[in-house]
Amino acid sequence: MGELAVDKHVKYIISVEKKKESFESVVMEHLRLNGAYWGLTTLDLLGKLDAVDKEVISWIMKCQHESGGFAGNIGHDPHILYTISAVQVLALFDKLDVLDVDKVSNCILIHIAGLQNEDGSFSGDMWGEVDTRFSYIAICCLSILQRLDKINVDKAVNYIVSCKNLDGGFGCTPGGESHAGQMNGWINHWLFVKSDSNIVKCLSAAVTAVFCCVGALAIAGALHHVDKDLLGWWLCERQVKSGGLNGRPEKLPDVCYSWWVLSSLIMIDRVHWINKEKLLKYILDCQDTENGGISDRPDDAVDVFHTYFGVAGLSLLEYPGVKAIDPAYALPVDVVNRIFLSK
Amino acid sequence: MSEKLNSEAFASDLLKQFEHILESDPLIDEVGFIHPSQFVTLKEEVGGSLSSSEGGVLKSQDALENGITNFWNRDHKLGISTQIVISLYKAAKNAFMAAHRQHKTSNDETLASEVLIHGRALLLLSCDFGTAWNSRKLIASKKQLLPIFMDELRLSALVLSYSPKSEQAWSHRRWVINMISGRCSTLQEIIERESELVEKIAESSKMNYRAWNHRCWLVSYMTREQVLHELKKSRNWAGLHVADNSCFHYRRRLMLRNLEGVCHPQENDSSGYNVKTYQVWKEELDWNEALIKRYVGREALWLHRRFLCLYWIRHITANLLGISCQSEPKSSVDNDIDSFLDHELCLLDSCSTVPDDVFEDFQAQAIHSATYMLWLTKGIDLQDKLGDLTRLLSKACPERSSLWDYFGGQLCARELDLSNS
Repeated sequence: MGELAVDKHVKYIISVEKKKESFESVVMEHLRLNGAYWGLTTLDLLGKLDAVDKEVISWIMKCQHESGGFAGNIGHDPHILYTISAVQVLALFDKLDVLDVDKVSNCILIHIAGLQNEDGSFSGDMWGEVDTRFSYIAICCLSILQRLDKINVDKAVNYIVSCKNLDGGFGCTPGGESHAGQMNGWINHWLFVKSDSNIVKCLSAAVTAVFCCVGALAIAGALHHVDKDLLGWWLCERQVKSGGLNGRPEKLPDVCYSWWVLSSLIMIDRVHWINKEKLLKYILDCQDTENGGISDRPDDAVDVFHTYFGVAGLSLLEYPGVKAIDPAYALPVDVVNRIFLSK
Repeated sequence: MSEKLNSEAFASDLLKQFEHILESDPLIDEVGFIHPSQFVTLKEEVGGSLSSSEGGVLKSQDALENGITNFWNRDHKLGISTQIVISLYKAAKNAFMAAHRQHKTSNDETLASEVLIHGRALLLLSCDFGTAWNSRKLIASKKQLLPIFMDELRLSALVLSYSPKSEQAWSHRRWVINMISGRCSTLQEIIERESELVEKIAESSKMNYRAWNHRCWLVSYMTREQVLHELKKSRNWAGLHVADNSCFHYRRRLMLRNLEGVCHPQENDSSGYNVKTYQVWKEELDWNEALIKRYVGREALWLHRRFLCLYWIRHITANLLGISCQSEPKSSVDNDIDSFLDHELCLLDSCSTVPDDVFEDFQAQAIHSATYMLWLTKGIDLQDKLGDLTRLLSKACPERSSLWDYFGGQLCARELDLSNS
């Protein structure tokens, strides 16, 4: 089994930061702040956060909207998905003090989420789409900002519990998982560039819903609502023969699930139900040992998103030389401790 | 410097052309990106029978001079050359962001239409550009006109034709439907068309979670007739895509929706309703069993069975029979459960034999069936019927031995309790 190519991955992440002209980074520019979180958290887990300019802080602050929420890039509209990334990156650099905390939390409460909805759910922005991912982000973000008392946590928990499925898993919402003419699919036949990159694909998988619900319940201290045996069973059935984990039944394995599935299993104390050695080997097999970076599957193209999830997965597997990551906050444990123990 | 100006002029020329094509052919229903070498093949395929103006190849002045093709538009299908995607994207983004900034400070009508035109071009190149979707929502919600909302549904469908997993495009549809749901007489028709759209997209984009999630969301808008109709309609599709768990999840959502009526019997003519629900469930169980036997070793089919059986035992038998025949003694319900479980054990038995030539599918079938029975024991008491199960699983699927040991242990402890009491 190969080893983790730490220096190569560090070099790769720093190079991605600078390659603003590539196709990938051009079509992803609206979620650049998420990218900053993935890259910088990876660097911190590898103990190399000092390799980055502190300029990133002023760039992040330029992404802040007048309402207090953050956009994915300068000049874009704010969304809770980017607000969490901004808060997390500032926490990494121990710079939460540059935030007007009340403004940001009020924005989550009022401007972005349009207040917590009556049923306890959260919206992602003023346009109202509801998703348990937004519940997780609101709870995680407000907890880091030490403003969790501003929302009705019981109601938020009840909403998440209402998204529980019979298989022990959770959905995005309650209850939630052609040849029409000859010319149909004609363009797809010629499709050369797929615009749904690996990143977008992974962000929409079912296990992200499970992670978000379990993570939110963990932070809210309400894990007793989870049927740990049943959910643990469903999660460990995600491991396929190669050792990798998939996100849904009958799907191919993908490195990003090393994070989503593993962190959930740790939070519910059922991680011993999967084969950790095989998973470790699978993640290491997905490295580009020449140019750095980690891909979804062995020999695929690498990207910063999978590099983060690969390293985070190794961190959860206690790989030597990688800092421990907190499975609920998705931040290095020392960063989480600094937030909660120093006050 | 002048080179930069040149390339900017080139890009804005491209954008004009692109927007012109979109404006002049509102019926375009498919967009995609084409490698330059493929244009040649396309031209050959269309053949020499067409005059150059009908050939679908659209060239800018600059491109004409250099013999480069940038767009292909024929039969309402639009292809964009991969060579120009980045320049075109940058031009569209700059034009959109400029119009968007100006529009925020003044409520000018022309600016609003610029936002819409450049925003459309941008979204056809970068499907999840949230700010562009948001600006459309803002303009549409100010005008509150049905045709504008319908245009938004069309644009979203066009984006989905090249990016079927675009979360923003699906989310935009839900926003539109929420906006028109209160005052649109054709809502049921729209819901039906949405459902058809998901099915069409799912055909070419396998196991598309966002698409199926959208279809699940539609269920709360459906009448009971529609729910039953959808169950009937999606059955064929599911039978042809037995590995697609998302489709089976959709059926579960429909069945649970149908069951909600049973839980609130006062709202319905209860006895007829219950009989029908019972029948739907029974048919699904039989159909699932037939599929399991035909398509050996499919995980999604067995997961579907877990759902069907647990609900069958927990709700249908207890609840339904209880409501519809209140005089029926409890022992009879117990008998029904018993004979049902015997049936499941027979199924397990028939699926557990792995032929000598050891096909992987049969191995998988044996593991799925044994796991299924063990899973059922978590919900109900199967007592002494399952002695060999954990041993079989530990042998067939040693990777999960910790899981089998854990639940096997629980099983033994329960048996011990029973024999002690």
